[in-house]
Amino acid sequence: MKRKTSESKKHMTGSGQVRLQLTSMMDMFTIILVFLLKTYSTQGQLINPSDDLTLPTSLASKVPEMGLELTVSADWILVNGKPISRTSDALDMSGYIIPDLREELYRYAREAERMESLYGSRFTGRVTIQGDKNLPYRLLMKVMATCGQSRYPNMRLVVYRKDEL
Amino acid sequence: MTPRSSKRKKRGLEEMATNITPMMNLMVVLIPLLLTSAEFVKLSVIELNLPPVERGSEGEMLSQLPEENMKTLDLTVTITDKGFFISSAMAVLAGEQAEEPTIPLIRNADGIFEHDYETLSIKLYEIKQRALGRFPDAEQIIILGEPSIVYQTVISTMDAARFININGRQEALYPNVLLSADIL
Repeated sequence: MKRKTSESKKHMTGSGQVRLQLTSMMDMFTIILVFLLKTYSTQGQLINPSDDLTLPTSLASKVPEMGLELTVSADWILVNGKPISRTSDALDMSGYIIPDLREELYRYAREAERMESLYGSRFTGRVTIQGDKNLPYRLLMKVMATCGQSRYPNMRLVVYRKDEL
Repeated sequence: MTPRSSKRKKRGLEEMATNITPMMNLMVVLIPLLLTSAEFVKLSVIELNLPPVERGSEGEMLSQLPEENMKTLDLTVTITDKGFFISSAMAVLAGEQAEEPTIPLIRNADGIFEHDYETLSIKLYEIKQRALGRFPDAEQIIILGEPSIVYQTVISTMDAARFININGRQEALYPNVLLSADIL
C-alpha cells in the first residue's frame, strides 16, 4: 500500500496535478520523422501526372527534367494541358504526322527560339510524353513521329518507377 | 534532520523528468511540413533521342540510313500478340517450330497469357555475349511492335532489353533502344 502511493507520486507535480505521459508519443513521432526525412526529396515534382491516365510502370531510374509537356490520354492529346486533338481522330488518321499536334509543337518551338534569342535560354527540343498505359503502339508511333518532325526530337517517356524486386 | 533528507529525495525525482515540450513543438511543425512535401509516387523517364531533323527536309525518313560498308547487327525484337520474334540483319531466331515466335507467351499465375520478359532478357544476354566486339552496333536494339500492342508492353520490353538482373546485380544489355514504326 505504501509502495503504490510512492509510484503514483512520480507522475505528480508539486501542486498535485497529474503529468501527461509523452514518451510513447515521442517514440511514434521520431519514427514518423525519420521515415519522412528518408522519403524527402529536395527536388520536388517537376512533372505533374495527369488525372485521366495511368502511366506505365518501368524499372527506369532516370530523374525527370523540365520540358514541354505532351499528354496522350485515352480521349485527348494535350500540349501543356491544352487539348489539341482527339485521340480517336489521331488513331484513325492515315500517315504518321498528326497535323494539329504538329502545328502546336511548331508554335512552341518558335516561341522557345524567340526566348533563346531574347534571353539566352537554350532551346533543347525536349518533350516529356505522358501516355496512358493502354495506348496502342500505332498511336505512340504517330505521336513520336510528329514530335520528331516538329523539332522536338528529344523525347522523355514518363513512367512510374517500379522498385526492384 | 529527517525531513530535510526527504526533501532532497523529492527534488532529485523531479529533475529526472526531462522537459520535452520544445522537442514536441519541433515535431509538430516538422511532421506536417514533410508530409505535405512527400512524394509517394516516384516518377522517372525513359530517354529516347531521335537524330535531329534538318530544316527543310520534312517528310523524309525518320532515321538515318546506316553506312553501307559497315556490317551491322541490326538486332530487332518484334512484339506480336503471340510473343517475341528476335531477328538480326542476317537471320530470324527460330522458335521451337517454324513460323512460331522465338519466345512465345507464357501463362502467368492467374492463367492469363502474357509476354515472357525474363526469357527475352536471357536470350538477349546470350546474343550480346556473342556479338560483343564483332559489330559496331552491339549496344543498340530496335523494337518493333504490331499496331495493337499496348504501351505498357512496349515499356516492359524496353526494360527487358536495357537491363538484365544476374544474381541480383543489374547489368546493361542494350542501352540504345530505338523504336521502329512499321513491320517491314
